[in-house]
Amino acid sequence: MAYSEKVVDHFNNPRNMGSFKKEEDGVGTGIVGAPECGDVMKLQIKVQNDTIVDAKFKTFGCGSAIASSSLATEWLKGKTVEEAGKIKNTDIVQELNLPPVKIHCSVLAEDAIKAALADYQKKADSK
Amino acid sequence: MSGHTHNTDDRRQLQMARSMCWHCQSEMAGEYFCDRCVKVQPVSKDVDYFTCFGLPRRLAIDTRVLEAKFYELSRAFHPDFYQNKSDAEQSISLGNSAMLNTAYRTLRDPIQRAEYLLDLEAGSVKDIRTSPPADLFEEILELQETLDEFRESDRASEQASTLRAKLHADRTNLEERQREMETRLHQLFSRWDALQDRGEATEEARTERSSILKDMRNILSNRTYVKNIVNDLVETIA
Repeated sequence: MAYSEKVVDHFNNPRNMGSFKKEEDGVGTGIVGAPECGDVMKLQIKVQNDTIVDAKFKTFGCGSAIASSSLATEWLKGKTVEEAGKIKNTDIVQELNLPPVKIHCSVLAEDAIKAALADYQKKADSK
Repeated sequence: MSGHTHNTDDRRQLQMARSMCWHCQSEMAGEYFCDRCVKVQPVSKDVDYFTCFGLPRRLAIDTRVLEAKFYELSRAFHPDFYQNKSDAEQSISLGNSAMLNTAYRTLRDPIQRAEYLLDLEAGSVKDIRTSPPADLFEEILELQETLDEFRESDRASEQASTLRAKLHADRTNLEERQREMETRLHQLFSRWDALQDRGEATEEARTERSSILKDMRNILSNRTYVKNIVNDLVETIA
């Protein structure tokens, strides 16, 4: 099965790869995994005044999982926390032309976004 | 309430349709061939792989019995024997053969067999999904970072040999854990089979059933994560 051009592009030039310090103010961290294939994805957001000013990811898995998370970080930047919560895995599928067997990669990215947002919220609430 | 009745009717009709020969419309007693006109019958999509091979839903399988049944059915469905038959029979032969091959591949491997059983039972147990293993994820991410460090290091350097030694120890440790998981998995398989054999419908049996399935789901997932990182370790430091 061939990867779409967009997947290959994100795979070869991943955007926003890396990480923030978890304890840092305004940072939300989501770590999720896909038990079917064993992929693990870490996605982090940095929030200032309710807006995501930066996002980073580290994904250990297949090309589609890397591309999904890379794209997710691109989309997250500049969005408000509320807008970010509306990103759906189907948007990722569409943008990257993911075939049916790779849809779970986009689900993983959506889960990672949700987990990062929840972590950010939890940290904000406990202050 | 009326919706419920309707459902039952649908199901009954489905069963009726299935037990009727597509060719001569006789009610047939045979499993895969009509007793009257001997035409091959399509294996219903509702039939699970265990039933397809005439096996109970157990996790210990005598692979010789499975193999013998597979060969028997393979011969019976093989497209080569249907070349001179009608289009309908040719297409049934192809469909059945494909289904049979997938069923055999799935049941032959103990892990795939267990994964398949979990899929089958997912509907019968509420919330078979378990919470993600956060500690394991952290550990994997940390290990992957060390792996990256090692990949980027000068192989002749002291830093590289220190990293290699660390990764080697990690690999040994993870492989040990992988073996432990497999032992625990096989214990769960035996408990599942014993429970199936007793066939009780008590509240206690139901609780045990769902606890076994949940534990299996957990270990199978964790095993995949561990297997992946072990593969990466082996590839990188070999």
